[in-house]
Amino acid sequence: MMQIEIIEMSDTKAKFILKDGTPGLANALRRVLISDVPKMAIDNVEFHLGPIMVDGREYESITPLFDEIVSHRLGLVPVPTDHELFVFQKDCVCEGEGCPNCSIMYSLNKIGPCTVYSGDLVPLGNEALKVKDDLIPIIELGDGQAVLVYAIARMGTANEHVKWQATHGVGYKYMPIISVDPKLCDGGSKCTDLCPCKVFVMDGDVAKAENLLQCSLCGSCLKFCDMKAISLTEDDTQFVFTMETDGSLTAAQTLDYALKDLQARFAKFCEDLPDA
Amino acid sequence: MIIPVRCFTCGKVVGSSYPIYVKRVQMGEDPEKVLDELGLERYCCRRMIISHADLIGEIQLLG
Repeated sequence: MMQIEIIEMSDTKAKFILKDGTPGLANALRRVLISDVPKMAIDNVEFHLGPIMVDGREYESITPLFDEIVSHRLGLVPVPTDHELFVFQKDCVCEGEGCPNCSIMYSLNKIGPCTVYSGDLVPLGNEALKVKDDLIPIIELGDGQAVLVYAIARMGTANEHVKWQATHGVGYKYMPIISVDPKLCDGGSKCTDLCPCKVFVMDGDVAKAENLLQCSLCGSCLKFCDMKAISLTEDDTQFVFTMETDGSLTAAQTLDYALKDLQARFAKFCEDLPDA
Repeated sequence: MIIPVRCFTCGKVVGSSYPIYVKRVQMGEDPEKVLDELGLERYCCRRMIISHADLIGEIQLLG
């Protein structure tokens, strides 16, 4: 039975050890984390064209960037996601038309000269859906320029576009197995000095591998040790995972969803198998 | 041009770090330390910030 031991878990970052697994299982989890965890992202952007009147002054709805670039930048902004509140548009009661159960509407209304930030996106309705990372520059407006934009976010997965990718920097390595033969080790401390990840410490006269999680399996200790006292192998049942999220979901929510998704898929696969 | 919203390689949001980075480096802080504290660990994200030429102000005049 696969087990997970959490080493580090913050809002956007997680590090854990997958125990009693197989390489195939570890890769399946990695791929689900990358491409199958749904999140909300801005997908439909409507620009107001023509003059915008503010306090008796006329502003042009023009920006230094093309509207397409502005929409693309808006799409990449991480939007807070709650799997309890929102569903995919195709599964929604509105049958894909767009309603408060499957989409979030934002408005962006700014006059120049200024820099427009992601924090200027105002959610229509639920104030809790305000973008958390409010310092992402979207456009810079000059004097007499203005934007008036309505943007609609919807649920999606990274199979469709990376803006729906909840995680990044997802990866794993095999758990290293390092042993030092005390009969051969002469206490030359070459490994403690030259290991780039500082895995070894001196325990009396012999070297000892201590910070195993830091080991990058580079194998330079094997090269440096003149006495050939070190052996380095990989444990293909244990994997050290690292992952980060973009802030639309927490790391714990993402991992939770990915594991449930994987479980459901394997269950479905077993069901579909013809009885042997 | 304008700072990209995300890192080209890994997809981490880097746009929000740029205004903070510029401000802190101008105040005389060590760029390496600032990047570390902003949580930009991988070199793909770090290059997004340090190699960026912020020319949007010049483009803006032509808009």
